[in-house]
Amino acid sequence: MKKLLALLLAALLLALPLAGCGTSGGENGELVLYTWENMFPQEVLDAFTEETGIAVNYANFDTDETMLAKLQAAEGGDYDLIIADDYIIETAIAEGLVQELDTSKLSNYGSINPVYQGQFYDPEDKYTVPYGAGVQTIVYDPDLVDIEINGYADLWDPSLEDNVGVIASYRVVNGMALKVLGESYNTEDVAAIEAAGDKLLELAPNIRLIKDDNTQDDLLSGEIGAAVMYTSMVTMAKMADPDLVVVFPEEGIGFGVMGQFIPKNAPNAEAAYQFMDYILEPEVAAQCFEYLGYYCTNLDAEQYISEEYKSFLTLPEEIDTSNMEMIENVSAQALEVHDRVWTEFRDACGQ
Amino acid sequence: MAEGRPQKKRKLRGEALTIVPLYLFTLVFVAGPLVYMVVLSFLTRAETWGVVGEFTLENYADIFQPVYLQTFWESIKLAVISTVLIAAIGYPFGYFMAKLPPKWKKRAMLLLMIPFWTSSLIRLYGWIVIFRANGVLDTALMGLHITSEPLKLLYTYPAVVVGMVYALLPFMIFSVYSSAEKLDFSLVEAARDLGASPLRAFFTVSFKLTLPGLLSGVVLTFVPSMGLFFIADILGGNKVVLVGNLIQEQLLKTHNWPFAAALSVALLLLTTLILFLYRKVSGVKDLEGLV
Repeated sequence: MKKLLALLLAALLLALPLAGCGTSGGENGELVLYTWENMFPQEVLDAFTEETGIAVNYANFDTDETMLAKLQAAEGGDYDLIIADDYIIETAIAEGLVQELDTSKLSNYGSINPVYQGQFYDPEDKYTVPYGAGVQTIVYDPDLVDIEINGYADLWDPSLEDNVGVIASYRVVNGMALKVLGESYNTEDVAAIEAAGDKLLELAPNIRLIKDDNTQDDLLSGEIGAAVMYTSMVTMAKMADPDLVVVFPEEGIGFGVMGQFIPKNAPNAEAAYQFMDYILEPEVAAQCFEYLGYYCTNLDAEQYISEEYKSFLTLPEEIDTSNMEMIENVSAQALEVHDRVWTEFRDACGQ
Repeated sequence: MAEGRPQKKRKLRGEALTIVPLYLFTLVFVAGPLVYMVVLSFLTRAETWGVVGEFTLENYADIFQPVYLQTFWESIKLAVISTVLIAAIGYPFGYFMAKLPPKWKKRAMLLLMIPFWTSSLIRLYGWIVIFRANGVLDTALMGLHITSEPLKLLYTYPAVVVGMVYALLPFMIFSVYSSAEKLDFSLVEAARDLGASPLRAFFTVSFKLTLPGLLSGVVLTFVPSMGLFFIADILGGNKVVLVGNLIQEQLLKTHNWPFAAALSVALLLLTTLILFLYRKVSGVKDLEGLV
């Protein structure tokens, strides 16, 4: 009896992790959407289910790398629609994990803003539809900063000592220094990246913090006077304090795009097409972007974005889009130099 | 007796069966990843994603670049500073806690444990509220006219040290406490009766007998503090680069998994070495609660 009990308990222990794997679907099946948290307002997801009868199963990842590792483990299956960053999509396509889109199934395909199409990760737009773009901008509080900031080079000004926050991404921060030196974000020239590293060491005394989330809080609390931030943070900062100044760096603007793609072996690709088309509808897209806080990649949706949000979600008209450069994948060798230079920079900031 | 034996045997087999899942679990989830990590550390990274199965020692050679050695040095330095401070605060705390009347002992224990019911991340954000410009501490100091402007305490090295000490202090207190509680105070009284000064009695009797507790406290704080990189991230504004940060960055940003594995193996060897040296030097075989 006891032995039986022990066996049962042992079996139970082994089986427990497998529990809870059941699935539930809507009347017309299920869409497994895989992306970061908080990418869609709940109303949009609910309305989609109501309109199509397809239940949305929203799965989260925290980093692009986690997503790719899982997608690879699933051999391009398990998920129907994925939204991730441009550079990782390029890798996913190269790894053969993405299926080509049949754009004839997307009746609203024409509403996409062409500025965000034909980029490095999908030059012929065969695999992806953009969903939001981020632009690295400088934001500063004129009360806490003595100079006028027009570009990255101004961040080196000695008056900003211990007063600047930057993003915790070496491609962005090293890229800033590369831009100040007149190079491309995506240079493969090791000497140029090392020169950018030396340039960054001069910036170190001005750096107060390096982080990826909630930098707007530090700007609003007066912890720092100026920061290099992602678009969603800029939107939150400006909504809280309209007196903050947003600068599109004169050296050239770096930007990134989030793209939607259907994995190679998606169980329910039809549902993915229906969802993509639904969120491409200009009115729905406007609703999504007001929630998301990133630049709107849907040209027809711009007219539906409320005045309150418009200036944050659309590029200013005077911006020369030819001056924009995306941060692309570079070779492993260049990446290793970037990493070393970045570690040296952070060490110098901590001294 | 003769009848008892087979029953005992059967009982043992039953016990063994209940332990099997535990062993399986350990084998699969502890030994497995460890072996995987060691193997990975000798492979070559692929150009964009993943690894190729070519043997190389380059990942280990890369660790010896000055900038990465510096990271190890920073980690050890921070761990030593934190451990010394934790011992200085935690030892007397645990020692005197053991001398409290039983009723108060329980209360003190409860008070120490309550913060653990909240996630450590949330408690760290609590420190941000205290330290940040115009935060709790600034407001208090300015209200008392001790300072006249915000101190900029957050995102500094001392803030990281405070976070480390705060997060790991209870481990020291509890291990010193468990040692001091077993201490027979009549031995101290005997030493006093034989003419030892209070200080001498403490060092020759109490301290020696509670040393295993102190040392296991040191191990319990030193080893984790080598890896608690998120404290340096959150309270130090990412400016203190520890080995933990470096490993995370290699995995998530540089996509250099073999190098990350090599760094992990190096960190593992370093901690093992420190533990080994420590047992050799201290001569203490019995680490309270450990080993």
